Amino acid sequence: MNWIPWLLAGWLFFVGIYGVISSRNYVHLVGCLAVVQSSTYVLLLSVGYRQGAGPPIFFHIPPGRAVDPVVQALVLTDIVVGATISALLLALALQVHKVKGTLDPDQLRPLRR
Amino acid sequence: MRRYRRLALFAIAMLGILPCMIGLFAHMPRFGEHPLPYGDAINLNGVRQRHVTNMVTAVNFDYRGVDTLGEEIMLIAATVGAVMLLRGSRGEELSARPGRAPGRPIAWRSTGQVLIARLMAPLILLFGLNIIIHPQLTPGGGFQGGVIVASAALLIWLGDGYRPWRRLMRSRPIEVAEAIGAAIYALCGFAPMVVGAAFLQNVLPLGKTGALISGGLILLINAGVGIAVACGFALLFIEFLQETRAEEEPDPEEREA
Repeated sequence: MNWIPWLLAGWLFFVGIYGVISSRNYVHLVGCLAVVQSSTYVLLLSVGYRQGAGPPIFFHIPPGRAVDPVVQALVLTDIVVGATISALLLALALQVHKVKGTLDPDQLRPLRR
Repeated sequence: MRRYRRLALFAIAMLGILPCMIGLFAHMPRFGEHPLPYGDAINLNGVRQRHVTNMVTAVNFDYRGVDTLGEEIMLIAATVGAVMLLRGSRGEELSARPGRAPGRPIAWRSTGQVLIARLMAPLILLFGLNIIIHPQLTPGGGFQGGVIVASAALLIWLGDGYRPWRRLMRSRPIEVAEAIGAAIYALCGFAPMVVGAAFLQNVLPLGKTGALISGGLILLINAGVGIAVACGFALLFIEFLQETRAEEEPDPEEREA
């Protein structure tokens, strides 16, 4: 039980990186990058977890023991920014496909002048 | 060949990283028993100091508001980049014909789909606005609510099709609104400096804890973030869906050049 969150974060990281490296399609690559990113969410939220504590929202309960709000704030903004970054990368993929007619990284060569 | 070389490099790199990772995780404190001094300090004092009940909001828009301003600028930079990449020949005009992949049948919208989209769009819009205006009390805020609001608008596209949706979603006003949303945040940062306080210091009256209008500057910043995020995602949706239109015929002169 103690090592499951770290194992999960590490697994997501490795699987995502492997996907990025072995990718044959840029759209798939963007998805793999999102997997790598989600490993950081798992890691951060696991660090902020506290055994038996509730959420850091004290609307019905008096302030006191709760899980860490700092890491939750980090993850929250990261998710939204990550979504726009994915959109930016997908826009790049779209333009690559328009110009080169393929999304396979192996078929593409560096731009020549 | 290049593929195998890449995989071999990956294997070597992972052989290097894996022991470090295992060593690091072995020295982590027990799961659920991390010492969390900053989180504990905020959990203990946040309600008293800022009159908000959601500590995540207090961190995001007050204690670490400068970081969130950076995040928001990142969001806008990514949106602007995507919009600039996609703006071009396709779908700028409302009259643009839908693009067709050869040999693929056109799927017609069913009445049920239109009905459900029309019923759900206003409900989801309301839900998104509800999330945007309640961050000081319960989970929510401009980031989450903004995405929900933009998705509600997207339901019009799903139900009624591209043209009614585009008639509602004009690029120009949405661009201006996004800039205004970001400007609200920046102004909320500089305005306290006029009265001699620090950047982003919460100088407005904090209100009563648990009331809708509480938390002072947090509400205002949050509204700015909500506008910026909703408009940013709406712009992304517009630009991506413009790509589904058929390419316009290039000018003969341009073709010769």
